Amino acid sequence: MATKILSVDDSRTIRLIVGKAFRPYDVTILEASNGEEGLGVAAREKPDLIILDVTMPVMDGVTMLGKLKEDPALKAIPVIMLTAESGRENVLQIARLGVRDYLVKPFKEEQLIEKAGRCVTLEKRPVAAPA
Amino acid sequence: MQPDLNQYKELARRYGIAPTPESVSRLTQLIARQDSCVDEIVRVIEKDPGLSARLLRVANPRAADESEYTVGTVDEALMRNGIGCALLLAMGTPLSLALVKTFQTMLSLKLESVDVHQLDSLTGEHMRCSIGFAGKVTGHVYLRMSPVTAKAIAAGILGLAPQELTDNDEIRDAAGELLNIMTGNFKSNLCDAGLDCKLQPPKVGMSRDLVTPIEPGSGLERLAFRAGKIEIFVEVTANPWAD
Repeated sequence: MATKILSVDDSRTIRLIVGKAFRPYDVTILEASNGEEGLGVAAREKPDLIILDVTMPVMDGVTMLGKLKEDPALKAIPVIMLTAESGRENVLQIARLGVRDYLVKPFKEEQLIEKAGRCVTLEKRPVAAPA
Repeated sequence: MQPDLNQYKELARRYGIAPTPESVSRLTQLIARQDSCVDEIVRVIEKDPGLSARLLRVANPRAADESEYTVGTVDEALMRNGIGCALLLAMGTPLSLALVKTFQTMLSLKLESVDVHQLDSLTGEHMRCSIGFAGKVTGHVYLRMSPVTAKAIAAGILGLAPQELTDNDEIRDAAGELLNIMTGNFKSNLCDAGLDCKLQPPKVGMSRDLVTPIEPGSGLERLAFRAGKIEIFVEVTANPWAD
Protein backbone atom coordinates (compact mmCIF):
# COMPACT_ATOMS: atom_id res chain seq x y z
CA MET A 1 0.00 0.00 0.00
CA ALA A 2 1.29 3.47 -0.91
CA THR A 3 2.67 5.71 1.84
CA LYS A 4 0.21 8.51 2.66
CA ILE A 5 1.65 12.01 3.17
CA LEU A 6 -0.51 14.96 4.20
CA SER A 7 0.67 18.41 3.08
CA VAL A 8 -0.92 21.23 5.12
CA ASP A 9 -0.13 24.67 3.70
CA ASP A 10 -2.27 27.66 2.72
CA SER A 11 -0.09 28.18 -0.33
CA ARG A 12 -1.15 26.12 -3.32
CA THR A 13 2.34 26.67 -4.72
CA ILE A 14 3.94 24.87 -1.78
CA ARG A 15 1.42 22.02 -1.96
CA LEU A 16 2.19 21.65 -5.68
CA ILE A 17 5.95 21.61 -4.98
CA VAL A 18 5.50 18.98 -2.27
CA GLY A 19 3.40 16.87 -4.65
CA LYS A 20 6.03 17.22 -7.39
CA ALA A 21 8.85 16.24 -5.00
CA PHE A 22 7.18 12.93 -4.14
CA ARG A 23 6.01 12.11 -7.69
CA PRO A 24 8.79 9.56 -8.30
CA TYR A 25 7.80 7.66 -5.16
CA ASP A 26 4.94 5.33 -4.34
CA VAL A 27 3.22 8.00 -2.27
CA THR A 28 -0.36 9.27 -2.07
CA ILE A 29 -0.39 12.99 -1.37
CA LEU A 30 -3.29 14.40 0.66
CA GLU A 31 -3.78 18.16 0.95
CA ALA A 32 -5.26 20.68 3.35
CA SER A 33 -5.04 24.47 3.30
CA ASN A 34 -5.20 25.16 7.05
CA GLY A 35 -4.86 23.43 10.40
CA GLU A 36 -8.56 22.78 10.86
CA GLU A 37 -8.86 21.06 7.48
CA GLY A 38 -5.60 19.27 8.22
CA LEU A 39 -6.94 17.76 11.46
CA GLY A 40 -10.02 16.53 9.60
CA VAL A 41 -7.98 14.86 6.86
CA ALA A 42 -5.56 13.39 9.42
CA ALA A 43 -8.43 11.87 11.46
CA ARG A 44 -10.06 10.43 8.35
CA GLU A 45 -7.02 9.21 6.42
CA LYS A 46 -4.45 8.47 9.16
CA PRO A 47 -1.47 9.58 7.03
CA ASP A 48 1.99 8.12 7.62
CA LEU A 49 3.57 11.61 7.67
CA ILE A 50 2.36 15.21 7.92
CA ILE A 51 4.24 18.14 6.36
CA LEU A 52 2.98 21.24 8.14
CA ASP A 53 3.26 24.99 7.58
CA VAL A 54 3.18 27.38 10.57
CA THR A 55 1.42 30.58 9.48
CA MET A 56 -2.00 29.77 8.04
CA PRO A 57 -5.48 31.27 8.29
CA VAL A 58 -8.27 29.64 10.34
CA MET A 59 -5.90 27.44 12.38
CA ASP A 60 -2.12 27.81 12.36
CA GLY A 61 0.35 24.94 12.28
CA VAL A 62 1.45 25.24 15.90
CA THR A 63 -2.17 24.87 17.09
CA MET A 64 -2.72 21.93 14.75
CA LEU A 65 0.47 20.25 16.01
CA GLY A 66 -0.68 20.70 19.62
CA LYS A 67 -4.07 19.16 18.84
CA LEU A 68 -2.48 16.23 17.00
CA LYS A 69 -0.26 15.48 19.99
CA GLU A 70 -3.30 15.56 22.34
CA ASP A 71 -5.16 12.99 20.23
CA PRO A 72 -4.22 9.38 21.15
CA ALA A 73 -5.21 8.21 17.65
CA LEU A 74 -3.01 10.77 15.85
CA LYS A 75 -0.14 11.62 18.16
CA ALA A 76 2.23 9.00 16.77
CA ILE A 77 2.11 10.43 13.22
CA PRO A 78 5.49 12.07 12.54
CA VAL A 79 5.33 15.75 11.61
CA ILE A 80 7.85 17.79 9.63
CA MET A 81 7.39 21.56 9.92
CA LEU A 82 7.90 23.35 6.60
CA THR A 83 8.01 27.06 7.27
CA ALA A 84 9.82 30.31 6.56
CA GLU A 85 9.82 31.13 10.28
CA SER A 86 12.88 29.93 12.12
CA GLY A 87 12.80 32.30 15.10
CA ARG A 88 14.02 30.99 18.45
CA GLU A 89 10.65 31.01 20.23
CA ASN A 90 8.92 29.31 17.30
CA VAL A 91 11.50 26.55 17.02
CA LEU A 92 11.62 25.91 20.78
CA GLN A 93 7.82 25.83 21.10
CA ILE A 94 7.44 23.49 18.14
CA ALA A 95 10.23 21.20 19.35
CA ARG A 96 8.58 20.95 22.80
CA LEU A 97 5.29 19.96 21.19
CA GLY A 98 7.07 17.02 19.58
CA VAL A 99 7.93 17.63 15.97
CA ARG A 100 10.07 15.09 14.13
CA ASP A 101 11.95 17.54 11.93
CA TYR A 102 11.99 21.14 10.70
CA LEU A 103 12.67 22.44 7.20
CA VAL A 104 13.03 26.15 6.54
CA LYS A 105 11.68 27.65 3.29
CA PRO A 106 13.15 28.10 0.74
CA PHE A 107 13.99 24.43 0.40
CA LYS A 108 15.20 22.01 -2.22
CA GLU A 109 12.95 19.08 -3.06
CA GLU A 110 15.85 16.73 -2.25
CA GLN A 111 16.02 18.10 1.30
CA LEU A 112 12.34 17.38 1.80
CA ILE A 113 12.73 13.85 0.42
CA GLU A 114 15.74 13.22 2.66
CA LYS A 115 13.92 14.39 5.80
CA ALA A 116 10.73 12.49 4.85
CA GLY A 117 12.81 9.36 4.15
CA ARG A 118 13.96 9.41 7.78
CA CYS A 119 10.31 9.21 8.92
CA VAL A 120 8.65 6.87 6.41
CA THR A 121 9.62 4.29 3.81
CA LEU A 122 9.84 5.86 0.37
CA GLU A 123 9.83 3.36 -2.49
CA LYS A 124 10.30 4.42 -6.08
CA ARG A 125 7.27 3.96 -8.29
CA PRO A 126 7.73 1.08 -10.71
CA VAL A 127 8.70 2.36 -14.16
CA ALA A 128 6.02 1.49 -16.74
CA ALA A 129 7.23 -1.04 -19.27
CA PRO A 130 7.38 0.25 -22.87
CA ALA A 131 4.36 -0.78 -24.94
CA MET B 1 24.52 31.43 28.03
CA GLN B 2 20.78 30.98 28.69
CA PRO B 3 19.51 27.36 28.61
CA ASP B 4 16.92 28.31 25.93
CA LEU B 5 19.62 29.75 23.69
CA ASN B 6 21.74 26.61 24.07
CA GLN B 7 18.73 24.46 23.31
CA TYR B 8 17.86 26.57 20.27
CA LYS B 9 21.42 26.35 18.95
CA GLU B 10 21.33 22.56 19.31
CA LEU B 11 17.95 22.37 17.53
CA ALA B 12 19.10 24.75 14.79
CA ARG B 13 22.15 22.51 14.21
CA ARG B 14 19.98 19.38 14.14
CA TYR B 15 17.37 20.88 11.78
CA GLY B 16 19.95 22.61 9.57
CA ILE B 17 18.67 26.15 10.26
CA ALA B 18 21.15 28.77 9.01
CA PRO B 19 21.95 31.52 11.54
CA THR B 20 21.34 35.22 10.81
CA PRO B 21 24.62 37.10 10.20
CA GLU B 22 26.11 38.13 13.55
CA SER B 23 26.29 41.85 12.67
CA VAL B 24 22.60 41.91 11.70
CA SER B 25 21.52 40.10 14.91
CA ARG B 26 23.63 42.42 17.04
CA LEU B 27 22.29 45.52 15.31
CA THR B 28 18.67 44.42 15.70
CA GLN B 29 19.23 43.63 19.39
CA LEU B 30 20.76 47.06 19.99
CA ILE B 31 17.85 48.83 18.29
CA ALA B 32 15.31 46.72 20.18
CA ARG B 33 16.82 47.79 23.53
CA GLN B 34 15.80 51.42 22.88
CA ASP B 35 18.36 52.69 25.43
CA SER B 36 21.43 51.75 23.34
CA CYS B 37 23.79 54.60 22.64
CA VAL B 38 24.30 55.65 19.03
CA ASP B 39 28.08 55.08 19.31
CA GLU B 40 27.49 51.39 19.98
CA ILE B 41 25.24 51.12 16.91
CA VAL B 42 27.75 53.03 14.79
CA ARG B 43 30.53 50.60 15.80
CA VAL B 44 28.48 47.54 14.79
CA ILE B 45 27.57 49.05 11.40
CA GLU B 46 31.10 50.28 10.67
CA LYS B 47 32.49 46.78 11.22
CA ASP B 48 30.37 45.50 8.32
CA PRO B 49 31.20 47.18 4.97
CA GLY B 50 27.96 45.91 3.41
CA LEU B 51 25.80 47.39 6.18
CA SER B 52 27.75 50.69 6.06
CA ALA B 53 27.27 51.01 2.30
CA ARG B 54 23.55 50.29 2.56
CA LEU B 55 23.05 52.74 5.42
CA LEU B 56 24.65 55.51 3.36
CA ARG B 57 22.46 54.51 0.42
CA VAL B 58 19.35 54.81 2.63
CA ALA B 59 20.58 58.12 4.07
CA ASN B 60 21.02 59.60 0.59
CA PRO B 61 17.74 58.69 -1.09
CA ARG B 62 18.02 61.23 -3.92
CA ALA B 63 21.64 60.52 -4.87
CA ALA B 64 22.17 58.66 -8.12
CA ASP B 65 25.58 57.39 -6.93
CA GLU B 66 28.18 57.85 -4.17
CA SER B 67 29.57 61.04 -5.76
CA GLU B 68 26.23 62.73 -4.99
CA TYR B 69 26.08 61.70 -1.33
CA THR B 70 25.51 64.59 1.05
CA VAL B 71 25.68 62.27 4.08
CA GLY B 72 29.10 60.62 4.04
CA THR B 73 29.64 58.78 7.33
CA VAL B 74 27.75 56.17 9.33
CA ASP B 75 27.70 58.48 12.34
CA GLU B 76 26.20 61.34 10.33
CA ALA B 77 23.67 59.05 8.65
CA LEU B 78 22.35 57.86 12.01
CA MET B 79 22.27 61.37 13.48
CA ARG B 80 20.35 62.72 10.50
CA ASN B 81 18.03 59.80 9.85
CA GLY B 82 17.55 58.32 13.29
CA ILE B 83 17.65 54.78 14.57
CA GLY B 84 14.69 53.80 12.40
CA CYS B 85 17.06 54.05 9.48
CA ALA B 86 19.34 51.43 11.09
CA LEU B 87 16.34 49.21 11.72
CA LEU B 88 15.45 49.28 8.02
CA LEU B 89 19.02 48.26 7.37
CA ALA B 90 18.83 45.38 9.83
CA MET B 91 15.56 44.26 8.27
CA GLY B 92 16.73 44.60 4.69
CA THR B 93 19.59 42.16 5.11
CA PRO B 94 17.54 39.06 6.02
CA LEU B 95 14.99 40.04 3.36
CA SER B 96 17.70 40.25 0.71
CA LEU B 97 19.36 37.01 1.85
CA ALA B 98 16.03 35.17 1.80
CA LEU B 99 15.12 36.45 -1.67
CA VAL B 100 18.53 35.58 -3.14
CA LYS B 101 18.45 32.15 -1.44
CA THR B 102 14.91 31.48 -2.72
CA PHE B 103 15.98 32.16 -6.29
CA GLN B 104 19.09 30.03 -5.89
CA THR B 105 17.27 27.15 -4.20
CA MET B 106 13.96 27.02 -6.05
CA LEU B 107 14.84 28.49 -9.45
CA SER B 108 18.59 27.83 -9.75
CA LEU B 109 19.00 31.52 -10.60
CA LYS B 110 21.68 33.79 -9.23
CA LEU B 111 19.81 36.92 -8.21
CA GLU B 112 22.04 39.93 -7.65
CA SER B 113 21.32 42.90 -5.47
CA VAL B 114 21.74 46.07 -7.55
CA ASP B 115 21.43 49.75 -6.83
CA VAL B 116 17.78 50.65 -7.37
CA HIS B 117 18.87 53.48 -9.69
CA GLN B 118 20.55 51.00 -12.03
CA LEU B 119 17.18 49.60 -13.10
CA ASP B 120 14.51 51.35 -15.11
CA SER B 121 11.43 51.95 -12.99
CA LEU B 122 8.40 49.79 -13.59
CA THR B 123 5.86 51.40 -15.86
CA GLY B 124 2.20 50.64 -16.33
CA GLU B 125 0.46 47.72 -14.76
CA HIS B 126 2.63 45.48 -12.59
CA MET B 127 2.19 42.89 -9.87
CA ARG B 128 2.28 44.32 -6.37
CA CYS B 129 2.43 42.01 -3.36
CA SER B 130 2.41 43.29 0.19
CA ILE B 131 2.61 41.91 3.71
CA GLY B 132 2.01 43.98 6.80
CA PHE B 133 3.62 43.26 10.16
CA ALA B 134 2.49 44.61 13.51
CA GLY B 135 3.75 44.47 17.09
CA LYS B 136 6.77 46.16 18.66
CA VAL B 137 7.68 47.16 15.13
CA THR B 138 5.08 47.88 12.44
CA GLY B 139 5.32 48.31 8.72
CA HIS B 140 4.97 46.69 5.33
CA VAL B 141 7.08 44.81 2.82
CA TYR B 142 6.21 45.32 -0.84
CA LEU B 143 7.33 43.22 -3.77
CA ARG B 144 6.85 44.61 -7.29
CA MET B 145 7.55 43.00 -10.63
CA SER B 146 6.32 43.04 -14.21
CA PRO B 147 3.61 40.54 -15.23
CA VAL B 148 6.14 38.73 -17.45
CA THR B 149 8.57 38.38 -14.53
CA ALA B 150 5.80 37.16 -12.21
CA LYS B 151 4.85 34.49 -14.75
CA ALA B 152 8.46 33.41 -15.30
CA ILE B 153 9.03 33.08 -11.55
CA ALA B 154 5.83 31.11 -10.94
CA ALA B 155 6.60 28.78 -13.84
CA GLY B 156 10.16 28.27 -12.58
CA ILE B 157 9.05 27.47 -9.03
CA LEU B 158 6.46 24.98 -10.31
CA GLY B 159 8.85 23.40 -12.82
CA LEU B 160 6.81 24.45 -15.86
CA ALA B 161 7.54 26.39 -19.04
CA PRO B 162 5.95 29.89 -18.87
CA GLN B 163 3.58 29.04 -21.75
CA GLU B 164 2.27 26.04 -19.76
CA LEU B 165 1.17 28.33 -16.96
CA THR B 166 -2.22 29.83 -17.83
CA ASP B 167 -3.82 30.07 -14.39
CA ASN B 168 -3.45 33.61 -13.00
CA ASP B 169 -4.30 32.34 -9.51
CA GLU B 170 -1.19 30.12 -9.60
CA ILE B 171 0.95 33.10 -10.63
CA ARG B 172 -0.47 35.22 -7.81
CA ASP B 173 -0.09 32.41 -5.26
CA ALA B 174 3.57 31.86 -6.22
CA ALA B 175 4.31 35.59 -5.93
CA GLY B 176 2.58 35.72 -2.54
CA GLU B 177 4.55 32.70 -1.34
CA LEU B 178 7.80 34.29 -2.49
CA LEU B 179 7.01 37.32 -0.33
CA ASN B 180 5.92 35.03 2.52
CA ILE B 181 9.27 33.25 2.50
CA MET B 182 11.19 36.54 2.52
CA THR B 183 9.19 38.11 5.33
CA GLY B 184 9.12 34.93 7.42
CA ASN B 185 12.91 34.99 7.51
CA PHE B 186 13.16 38.66 8.50
CA LYS B 187 10.36 38.37 11.05
CA SER B 188 12.35 35.59 12.77
CA ASN B 189 15.29 37.96 13.08
CA LEU B 190 13.13 40.74 14.54
CA CYS B 191 11.48 38.43 17.07
CA ASP B 192 14.82 36.92 18.14
CA ALA B 193 16.04 40.46 18.86
CA GLY B 194 13.01 41.23 21.04
CA LEU B 195 10.98 43.13 18.43
CA ASP B 196 8.02 40.74 18.53
CA CYS B 197 5.62 41.14 15.65
CA LYS B 198 3.06 39.17 13.72
CA LEU B 199 2.73 38.92 9.96
CA GLN B 200 -0.56 39.62 8.21
CA PRO B 201 -1.64 37.49 5.24
CA PRO B 202 -0.07 38.57 1.91
CA LYS B 203 -2.09 40.68 -0.51
CA VAL B 204 -1.40 40.19 -4.20
CA GLY B 205 -2.84 42.17 -7.07
CA MET B 206 -2.14 44.19 -10.18
CA SER B 207 -1.44 47.90 -9.76
CA ARG B 208 -0.48 50.96 -11.77
CA ASP B 209 0.33 52.91 -8.62
CA LEU B 210 4.06 53.24 -7.98
CA VAL B 211 3.75 55.34 -4.84
CA THR B 212 4.57 53.46 -1.64
CA PRO B 213 2.42 54.48 1.33
CA ILE B 214 4.57 55.47 4.32
CA GLU B 215 2.94 55.63 7.74
CA PRO B 216 3.85 58.60 10.01
CA GLY B 217 7.11 57.95 11.87
CA SER B 218 8.18 55.26 9.42
CA GLY B 219 11.21 55.06 7.17
CA LEU B 220 11.43 53.52 3.72
CA GLU B 221 14.13 51.44 2.11
CA ARG B 222 14.10 50.41 -1.54
CA LEU B 223 15.98 47.36 -2.78
CA ALA B 224 16.37 46.08 -6.32
CA PHE B 225 17.48 42.73 -7.71
CA ARG B 226 18.28 41.34 -11.12
CA ALA B 227 18.88 37.94 -12.73
CA GLY B 228 19.07 38.15 -16.50
CA LYS B 229 15.78 39.70 -17.67
CA ILE B 230 14.18 39.25 -14.27
CA GLU B 231 13.99 42.47 -12.28
CA ILE B 232 12.45 42.69 -8.82
CA PHE B 233 11.79 45.67 -6.59
CA VAL B 234 11.40 45.37 -2.81
CA GLU B 235 10.32 48.17 -0.50
CA VAL B 236 10.25 48.07 3.28
CA THR B 237 8.55 50.60 5.54
CA ALA B 238 9.05 50.29 9.28
CA ASN B 239 8.32 52.13 12.47
CA PRO B 240 10.24 50.75 15.47
CA TRP B 241 8.76 50.80 18.96
CA ALA B 242 5.32 51.42 17.48
CA ASP B 243 3.58 50.02 20.55
